Amino acid sequence: MGFKKKSKVSAEFNMSSLTDIIFLLLIFFMLTSSLIIPNALNLKLPGKASNQKPPKSQPVIITINSAGTYTYNGRKASISGMEKEVRTLKRKDSNASVIITPNARADNDKVVAVLDMAYRYGINAILTDPK
Amino acid sequence: MVQINIELPESDSKTVAPTNITVMITNDGKVTLNGQKIKLANVRSGIQKEVAKQSNKENATIAIVAEKGVDWQHVNRVMVMAGRLGLKAIIATQPRS
Repeated sequence: MGFKKKSKVSAEFNMSSLTDIIFLLLIFFMLTSSLIIPNALNLKLPGKASNQKPPKSQPVIITINSAGTYTYNGRKASISGMEKEVRTLKRKDSNASVIITPNARADNDKVVAVLDMAYRYGINAILTDPK
Repeated sequence: MVQINIELPESDSKTVAPTNITVMITNDGKVTLNGQKIKLANVRSGIQKEVAKQSNKENATIAIVAEKGVDWQHVNRVMVMAGRLGLKAIIATQPRS
């Protein structure tokens, strides 16, 4: 009998939509993973040869206590207050340095905030052993 | 590259941290060296082993990945360790949001 099947449903699976999604995911993960690489503050540790000149002026002393409050040369100060001081210090002496004495129990982000400030103004920050 | 799902201190530094040797310290007191959990007492020997694996031993750098709020003494201890071993050290930070 001459019956003809009108529509043949293809049994093959169309891969193109699948590869679309795979590539999309691949690009997504590539972009997000590059954001994971952290930035860093460089530390110069003793024991490594360094040709740093000792500062001419009397260094400023910043302390950080366990509660996270700062003192700048013995006076209580905030980060923004210290920034003004540091800015004028840098203007007076381009080779200025600050000595940072953190308390052993001070939060590390409070210490990094001071290191970051020194980094931004191009000032030598010297860390001493925690009290 | 290391997987970091903790909050880091913020800074304006644009230096990209090398991640050959990373010491991660979290607020719950756990220390991991290159993703492997390690006891605080074994960190020094662990670092020495990792340094031995590096091809560029002269410039081996320890990245200290400390969570926001970790006591400074823990960071300091790793810093001192790196100094004694004659290595470089950096503190990992995240960009200011």
